[in-house]
Amino acid sequence: MSNTKTIEIGGTPSEKLKTDLLTINMGPQHPATHGVLRIEIKTDSEIVSEAIPHLGYLHRCMEKHCEKVDYRGVIPFTDRLDYLASMSMEWGYSMAVEKMLNIEVPKRAEYIRCIIAELQRIASHLIAFGTYAIDLGAFSPFLYAFEMREKVLRFFEELSGARLLYNYIWIGGVWNDIDDKQLKRIGKFCDEMEEEVKKYNELVSFNKIFVERTANVGVLSIEDAYQYGASGPVLRGSGVKWDLRANRPYSLYSELDFDVHVGEGERGVVGDCWNRYFVRMKEVVESVKIIRQLLDGIEDGPVMGKVPKVIKPPKGEIYIRTECPRGELGYHLISDGKKTPYRLKVKSPCFTHTSMLPLLGEGQLIADFVATIGSIDIVLGEVDR
Amino acid sequence: MATTISESNKLTFTGYFRNIYEAFYTCGKGMWITFKYVWAHKPVTIEYPEVKEVLPEKARMRLFNDAENCISCTQCALSCPVDCIYIASKPRPKGEEVPKTTNGSPIRQILTQYTIDTALCCYCGLCTTVCPTECLTHSHDYEYSQYSLSGMKVDYLNDDVRAWRERIVKE
Repeated sequence: MSNTKTIEIGGTPSEKLKTDLLTINMGPQHPATHGVLRIEIKTDSEIVSEAIPHLGYLHRCMEKHCEKVDYRGVIPFTDRLDYLASMSMEWGYSMAVEKMLNIEVPKRAEYIRCIIAELQRIASHLIAFGTYAIDLGAFSPFLYAFEMREKVLRFFEELSGARLLYNYIWIGGVWNDIDDKQLKRIGKFCDEMEEEVKKYNELVSFNKIFVERTANVGVLSIEDAYQYGASGPVLRGSGVKWDLRANRPYSLYSELDFDVHVGEGERGVVGDCWNRYFVRMKEVVESVKIIRQLLDGIEDGPVMGKVPKVIKPPKGEIYIRTECPRGELGYHLISDGKKTPYRLKVKSPCFTHTSMLPLLGEGQLIADFVATIGSIDIVLGEVDR
Repeated sequence: MATTISESNKLTFTGYFRNIYEAFYTCGKGMWITFKYVWAHKPVTIEYPEVKEVLPEKARMRLFNDAENCISCTQCALSCPVDCIYIASKPRPKGEEVPKTTNGSPIRQILTQYTIDTALCCYCGLCTTVCPTECLTHSHDYEYSQYSLSGMKVDYLNDDVRAWRERIVKE
């Protein structure tokens, strides 16, 4: 494809005015790219005529490393995939190994896992909300979001010992038990969070300037969303009612009562940045609802199932997918009967979402392109692995 | 191709003024929320070097090995996903009295090296869970930055490290 665009002015070829497309790099250290993503943008004045994402700046050979360590040792690596939602990452992997070994997870451990995963979803969506507001020039919402996220992180720190990379959900259960005081604190946090979301909505979601910046921008149609394999809030923002928690329930989700929210086009059209963003805010409220139900139903009992000392799954393979804050995360685990996995392939939602950038970016203003990147909420640790 | 401007949103005369009104109204609402933070909100920032946060009981900071209780079983080194623990030991000469750890297990090997590369350590805590004598623990010490990478290698048989014991070991 030629970089040159010819605009004809006047009649004769000698009077033809040649204009070049200007190639600029956004990233890898650009604050709006949410990590180390480099996007090569070909600009025609201020319009993006082509956007090519370049990956690999955070590649850490995670999948290859996993073939070297034992099954328990993989969990710290899975933490580092999506470092903003480590608990959800661990859960998927643990579920895959448990299915292979036919381990039954105690009921209390399942409850704890669900509570933790929903809290993690809230924490992750708060980051998405905060950084999105920063991308569009509002700084204070970020601080408000971090104040609430800090409460979740503090809770995780008390539970597991780490703030970001927990290694808390283990094969067969969870590491430590939760005590009643902590459960009460989660209940209190849920009440606070509901109030906070109302505040965030007034502060950002329905702000006219924010709506003007995001509504009708970066529209992803249902067809394109299906074609590219989008999942999570990006797919739901385009109006598709698909959530693995509801459609293919795993763990305790089949017993819980919750709604799947989709973009309804209250502002702008369905599938634009505002709808993708607002689906996340609705999901936070929904997560609070789920946690309340779990807190009511939690049972006493052990938190660790019967797991052999040396984990050696039988020969075979398995594919497990879970609904992470950013979409559908899949683990394809192949075992050859030895102490270490033969292969662990991760299907990451952010990777598929990053591949949509050329489609979404074409024909946009650069400022709108920043809004689009923010609305699909990617984490580069998961894209590059 | 993704569209940026929808055709239905044509600007009318009243729409123009409504937009201005809405912008002022919603921004005013937001400003009121932020204004409330001036007096009705406690500061949440911890001013770090002066004020230190109290860490939770289970906080996983720098590793500490109580070398007197170590039986050189190498479980920690085997479970480590990043291989940052270096252990060496030699068998005890015959006829010598076998000392015991505080929980009563005999120390059959003499520990000659116990080094952890804290720069490589990923603080996952797997080594502490497999330790049979519970001599390897996560301490609450997090202030140990060094000028060089080699300074991050900590030899737990070193007397200097023994001297910190008071400071970094959890009660």
